[in-house]
Amino acid sequence: MVCPAGRRVLITGVGSRLGQTLAARLENDPEVEFVAGLDTRRPREPLGRTELIDADIRDPVITTLIPPLEVDTVVHNQIVRRPGPRMSSRAMHDTNVIGSLQLLAALEKAPTVRTVVVRGSAGVYGAEPSAPQFFGEEMARLFPLRSRFQRDVAEIENYFETYSRRHPEAVCTMLRYQPSIGSSTDTQVTRYLTLPACPTYLGYDPRIQLIHETDAVDALAAAVRRPVRGPVNVAGEGTIGLARMVHRAGRATVPIAGPLFGAVVGAARRAGMADLSEDFRRLLRYGRAVDVTRLVEEVGFRPRLSTPDAVAAWADARHAAAKERAT
Amino acid sequence: MSGRWRAMGVATAFLRLLREGLDAGLELPEAIARAGSALPRDAQDTLAAALRRLEGEHTEDEWGYDEEFARSAEPLLTFAYRRWWRVHAEGVRRVPAHGRALLVANHAGFLPWDATMISMALLREHPLPRQPRFLVLDWAFELPFVSTVIRRLGGVSASPYNALRLLGQDQLVAAFPEGPRSTAKPYRERYRVQRFGRGGFVELALRTGAPIVPVAVVGSEEIYPKMAELPQLSRLVGTPFFGVTPTFPWLGPLGLVPLPSRWRIEFCEPIDTARYGPEGAEDRTLVLELSERVHDTVQQAVYENVVRRGRAFY
Repeated sequence: MVCPAGRRVLITGVGSRLGQTLAARLENDPEVEFVAGLDTRRPREPLGRTELIDADIRDPVITTLIPPLEVDTVVHNQIVRRPGPRMSSRAMHDTNVIGSLQLLAALEKAPTVRTVVVRGSAGVYGAEPSAPQFFGEEMARLFPLRSRFQRDVAEIENYFETYSRRHPEAVCTMLRYQPSIGSSTDTQVTRYLTLPACPTYLGYDPRIQLIHETDAVDALAAAVRRPVRGPVNVAGEGTIGLARMVHRAGRATVPIAGPLFGAVVGAARRAGMADLSEDFRRLLRYGRAVDVTRLVEEVGFRPRLSTPDAVAAWADARHAAAKERAT
Repeated sequence: MSGRWRAMGVATAFLRLLREGLDAGLELPEAIARAGSALPRDAQDTLAAALRRLEGEHTEDEWGYDEEFARSAEPLLTFAYRRWWRVHAEGVRRVPAHGRALLVANHAGFLPWDATMISMALLREHPLPRQPRFLVLDWAFELPFVSTVIRRLGGVSASPYNALRLLGQDQLVAAFPEGPRSTAKPYRERYRVQRFGRGGFVELALRTGAPIVPVAVVGSEEIYPKMAELPQLSRLVGTPFFGVTPTFPWLGPLGLVPLPSRWRIEFCEPIDTARYGPEGAEDRTLVLELSERVHDTVQQAVYENVVRRGRAFY
């Protein structure tokens, strides 16, 4: 698809690092005439011409705020991947599901929209012992949905599919992101890798697949430039074994026998040390990798860093930063 | 003859030391490492390297296949191949030296030893040694240690998507289409090759144009002779079945050590599938017909090799 000149873009979750970086990138794009950002959080660094809308995505008021912007592109970047320190899993569910519903309600009243890009999650595939070694986009429903987050993501995907059916004039891209890693990103993976020691399942060394934060932004920008219909997997190529990843991060593994894992991690959580979600625990046991052919061939974006390289880049950057602090 | 008795002696010494180590309260990996002192020098080195690899630095491809790990496990598997099971392989040259191909074999025993022995036959006796990737029943990937080792040796879960991708990468893939049926059958039905599912493996071969090489394995049926089955226990442990053999579960994990039967592996004449084209995969009749043909070839070769082998244990 050729981009019409003078695009008007709305980014939800602009207060996140990724949303903010994307907004800054679009501000510098001569083809983009207008950028709006929706979030209750302020971006950490001030943005230029982006118009900030201070509203909660769960609030029905966005139905009246969004249509007057007359945007043609919407980037939905407010899908929360983990309950944070100030966010309960309940609030996370609300933001993800109710937020997406409110956004779609608002889009029903915005007939100018032609492109919708959603930053979804590859968590929808789950982590299964009998899974194909690489999930293709058509394999989303091979296994039962096990965790709340997984069900939420599946539900969000359904909403956007319905929207896409009702609005054939709009191209709706569902990006299924593997967890990202990077020195300015705070994800479950980076938290896990910065624990004093990393708990693993005794006897399991799953294949993990990640995407570097820079590639994560670039993939989003690429999808805005060249949207395709339907789901697209986003991940660095290749995989890395869990033990190897932990060692590369300069940490030691603590193998825990499967039946005790829940109890140990639960105790660690109560002690305020580690909080591993159900999804992440399954990932630590069985791992997951996706096939990125569609991203490379149809969206036309190949992540610069493979999964092992992304881990190495992150570990080296951390190491360098620690050295600098020491001197 | 003396070589075999020595091998048996080494093995029993190994098992005795392992048992003592476990009784003394050692962790399994440590107990294995200690018991390794009973093994010949080269096998000892291998064992140490394998145990190191299990926790430490290693290189893996995108499938989780670890060439270094596979190489370090080779002497141990060579021991199994030459001395424990005294494998005799025939027709190894019928396996294409390059390009995609699908090996289809009968299967027995509930750990994929037959897959490792097929690999060994190809690595040791093929003029251009190739490491096949094998499709392993899903539930093996739920087991700790077993799942990790199988994956590093080139096993993948038995999903058609995996097979398609591997064949698309021009790999050699080994499949065992009997599935769990073969593992669960009692000892008296040994060497009766079970139904080959719905012929899914033929569809894969047709779609990718990979030739099918039927493989008959004789000997694997005796390594875990199943006397009875305990379905209640299988539900408890979460495995598809729970078999009772002369050694399992009486000796605990040691009961998993396979019995030293004599093996024969025959690679049969490849069946060309490229001439039907990928559309052939849609043709039910063709798929079932080819599936039946492969099944019969394997069954026939199994019977012949059982006769040629003679006695199972000595």
